[in-house]
Amino acid sequence: MSHATTKGVRSHVVSSGRSQQSVSTVHVMSSSGHRAVRVAAMLAFGATLAGCATNAPQDTWKPAGENAQKIQDLQWWVFALAGVVGLVVFGVIVFVVVKFRDRGQDMPEQTHGNPALEIGLTILPALILLAISIPTVSTIFQLAKTDDTQCVVNVTGQQWWWEYDYPAQDGCLPGGISEPIVTSGQLVLPTGTKVMLRITSRDVIHSYWIPKLNGKRDAVPGRVHTLRMQADEPGIYSGQCTEFCGLSHARMRMEAVALYPADFATWVANETADYVAPAADTLAATGEATYVAQCSRCHQVNGLTQSGTDADGNAVTTPVLANPDLYLVSGAAPNLSHLMGRNTFAGATWDLLTDECRDRVWNASPEAFGTEYLKGVTSECLNEFELREWLRNAPAKKPMYADPNLAGPDGKLRGMPDLGLSESQIDELIAYLLERN
Amino acid sequence: MAIIDRPTSVPAIAGPPTAPTFVTPRAGYGFMRRPVNSTGWRSWLFTVDHKKLGIMYGVVAMFFFLVGGIEALLIRTQLAGPDNTVLSAGLYNQMFTMHATTMVFLFVMPMAAAWANYFVPLQIGARDVAFPRLNAFGFWCFLLGGIFLNTSWFLGGAADGGWFMYQPNASALFSPSHGVDFWALGLQITGIASLTGAINLIVTILNMRAPGMTFWKMPIFTWMILVVQFLLVFAIPVITVALFLLSFQRNFGAQFFNVDAGADPLLWQHLFWIFGHPEVYILVLPSFGIVSEVLPVFSRKPLFGYKFVVFSGAAIGFLGWGVWAHHMFASGLGPVSVAVFSVATMLIAIPTGVKIVNWTMTMWGGKLQFTTAMLFSIGLIVEFTIGGLSGVTHAVSPSDTQQTDTYYIVAHFHYVLFGGAIFGIFAGFYYWWPKMFGKLLDEKLGKWNFWLMVIGMNLTFGPMHILGLQGQPRRMVVWPDKLTGDGFFDLAFWNLVATIGSYLLGVGILVFLYNVWRTTRKGAPAPLDPWDARSLEWMTTSPPKEHNFDAIPTVHAIDEFFHRKYEEIDTEHGVRLVKVKTAEDIMAEQLAAADTDIHMPSPSYWPLVLAFGLPVIAYGIIYSTLLAVIGGLIVVLSMFGWAIEPSVADHDDFDPPADGGTDKELTSVG
Repeated sequence: MSHATTKGVRSHVVSSGRSQQSVSTVHVMSSSGHRAVRVAAMLAFGATLAGCATNAPQDTWKPAGENAQKIQDLQWWVFALAGVVGLVVFGVIVFVVVKFRDRGQDMPEQTHGNPALEIGLTILPALILLAISIPTVSTIFQLAKTDDTQCVVNVTGQQWWWEYDYPAQDGCLPGGISEPIVTSGQLVLPTGTKVMLRITSRDVIHSYWIPKLNGKRDAVPGRVHTLRMQADEPGIYSGQCTEFCGLSHARMRMEAVALYPADFATWVANETADYVAPAADTLAATGEATYVAQCSRCHQVNGLTQSGTDADGNAVTTPVLANPDLYLVSGAAPNLSHLMGRNTFAGATWDLLTDECRDRVWNASPEAFGTEYLKGVTSECLNEFELREWLRNAPAKKPMYADPNLAGPDGKLRGMPDLGLSESQIDELIAYLLERN
Repeated sequence: MAIIDRPTSVPAIAGPPTAPTFVTPRAGYGFMRRPVNSTGWRSWLFTVDHKKLGIMYGVVAMFFFLVGGIEALLIRTQLAGPDNTVLSAGLYNQMFTMHATTMVFLFVMPMAAAWANYFVPLQIGARDVAFPRLNAFGFWCFLLGGIFLNTSWFLGGAADGGWFMYQPNASALFSPSHGVDFWALGLQITGIASLTGAINLIVTILNMRAPGMTFWKMPIFTWMILVVQFLLVFAIPVITVALFLLSFQRNFGAQFFNVDAGADPLLWQHLFWIFGHPEVYILVLPSFGIVSEVLPVFSRKPLFGYKFVVFSGAAIGFLGWGVWAHHMFASGLGPVSVAVFSVATMLIAIPTGVKIVNWTMTMWGGKLQFTTAMLFSIGLIVEFTIGGLSGVTHAVSPSDTQQTDTYYIVAHFHYVLFGGAIFGIFAGFYYWWPKMFGKLLDEKLGKWNFWLMVIGMNLTFGPMHILGLQGQPRRMVVWPDKLTGDGFFDLAFWNLVATIGSYLLGVGILVFLYNVWRTTRKGAPAPLDPWDARSLEWMTTSPPKEHNFDAIPTVHAIDEFFHRKYEEIDTEHGVRLVKVKTAEDIMAEQLAAADTDIHMPSPSYWPLVLAFGLPVIAYGIIYSTLLAVIGGLIVVLSMFGWAIEPSVADHDDFDPPADGGTDKELTSVG
């Protein structure tokens, strides 16, 4: 009961905040009052709430796959031992402080030590540490295994988002993946499959971390690091970049999405499906032109073409190819071919789904999750507010040094600049992007 | 610099005073006289007295402690609630970078230098350090380097790459302001302070101990300082090299960490942490030394297992070199390296555990007096144990890959550094204040200070264990509401608690400052030996005379002062300790046997002038080559000045008594 109440207050905070977000300071001030109420409630009911609490989504003690489970098994044992040692030490200190306080007794004997005791108390911790180090070393090597991989995904970090590309391979699915897939933000995995991430970076060092699936691994430019991933149940697992990577480090998030293999096959089929152009004379069709004019220098939509004339005046259709290398320090921008197939954007920082739809997906039962997730972002579910704000002025929403005055030495930008789009251009783009599912 | 006589208990000159036997170049070299002021601001500016320098180190370090503390409070204010806007992302990044840099390089290290400068010569029965001018030079490097570093706030923004300054995020491309340049050059300058100080103290400790003070009779604080100085001598060159590579990369187009040029950014991490891990012990071992002095005094017992404590300190110093890669468990070293460093890191827990055991056993069977200094020492044992145990949990590298770069690590190292290093420093304040200033800090306010700090630190850093294990990463300008969870593990709640705790901690520090102010204004003179102490620094006046000891004592035991006061007497109830002399008696003996011919080093202008040239060079590297050349000239010319100034002041340091009545008059300049 009390659990439900807290939830209610929370969603109220979020939704009331959102409606006023155009002025961010107002948002903070209005929610702080609610927060105070919530904290007070927490103080009063803390104990009872603990019974039905939901831990934070990045709880490091809630493994959801083999690799995180191995870490969990090890750390329980270490924490327990450390706890026992701590209690013994504190017990002895309390005893000493109480028992030997100055009660006017004589000056104590001036003893200088007891070698047997000291050697004993040196060997004892050494034995305890031996008991810890053996399973530690064993776990290190188990977690470094790469020869049982069933599926490979390349993971590339850049300021401040993650790109995933699935090379064409025999793995991942019974029939393999025949065409490479490039996506970002949400890493989609088949459940019960040993996935190997090959992690690198295009600019500074980042770190890939989905706490419920495995520990973190740094993405270092010029190096490829492997990380095992396996999810037992379908669902969304939150994560965050954990190597300090500059201005928007706090807004470089990611999620791993686990789908049953059958659902994963559906996702792969959708990702590799041909481009569907908007119907003529729709807002989305205008949006396509706006997209080509405004976004396609950096962002790729696979299969998008434009018609023009060649030097001889003949009508030709050419593919629209992004060339982010020319404009961005990292040389990459998220592929938008299936933007609405994922439900967060801008470094998985903001939801593309309204709260209601988000809850439906994120809280779905494992059985229902695949169906809910694969619905993507429909027009009813689109959280237009955040996307609109982003298109209006991205660097105002997420600090990126996108200001050309602060650009790198060869004039390249870090992240998406303020494009100065008009409100009608934003309408068109949203209509167009809504069909990228 | 005058020669410091090898101490002897036999007066060098007996009978009526004669003229000084050494030559004083009174008028030599014209303008190159040495300053002679023994009062006023000049006496501080040009001093080479280890005690004055110690106090100056302490005052400046405490100033930077407040600066770093304000930075910490701003960080906690920003993180009090979700999506806060107190600090912008850019300013927040500068804030946590400078908080760590300030606390490590401008507070804890120089504060340890303050204690070492002031008390090592006193503890070993020396009259100053081996190289007094070098000592002054070190202080000015620290002060000017620290000021230089902090001027970046007003010159386009401070460094924003984190105190670890990982490449390539801190390269010119990704951190285009001059902040990182200020950081690298500023730390070079303070590094000179550490390096010269280390060499100075090593030579002092090895060569200038009082007669009879073998290594196994050396006070434990001096031992720990000796270990730390060796760590510094080896660690500072590593960071110096790394900082040079960084500066050359940022300022002169070198490519040491540039992937596109075939380099590997992990090189920086290795260099930084080969310095960075011994640095942890550089920060904490001096405080271990302080509590190892305080605990025996207030337990009324000698340190339990003195040799074990010495050896464990040295072992920590050695092992500290073999564990740097535990800062890099997530950076993809491969399983073999990770396994080796994991086990090596666990090994460090053994000598550290030995210290905890020995401190506890020192108290065992004692007669404990809970003065503020003692409370801070016991506080250190408890808080450091918590930090040590959480340290073991991430020595286990698979577990560390879940914990590293989360608040769990922030909790861990604040328990180690705040609960360890800073509690030790505060124990030192309350224990040594009467020795340094002749007045006792108020014990009642001291208790307030202690309990506010203990409660404050546990409220601040305790919840960070929960935050980290619940997945809140470090170095995040904001945390979003949707990631907080409910119930006991509500991150919003614990973030708020941590912020409240940090304010409480701030109040605790204010109580300390108030205590200092009140003691200075109203405190009554302290007794000569307020704590019934054990070691040599208490065998002189408070504050000590400029020459420290009227007669250099001959040492017979580890706790020399204590053994002069107490004797074991056989009674029918067994052996009993009986006080046979008071401190006043011993002081009178000292005065009676006072040395007649005490040479103290003369003050000098050149350490300050030479140190002043360094930030000029540094500003020059950033802004203008011409300025760098001017700075270089200042440095070179003042080196010549240093070399050719007269060895002593005009005003020579043996002052025959005017009335010819006694040969015991002791004066000196400075």
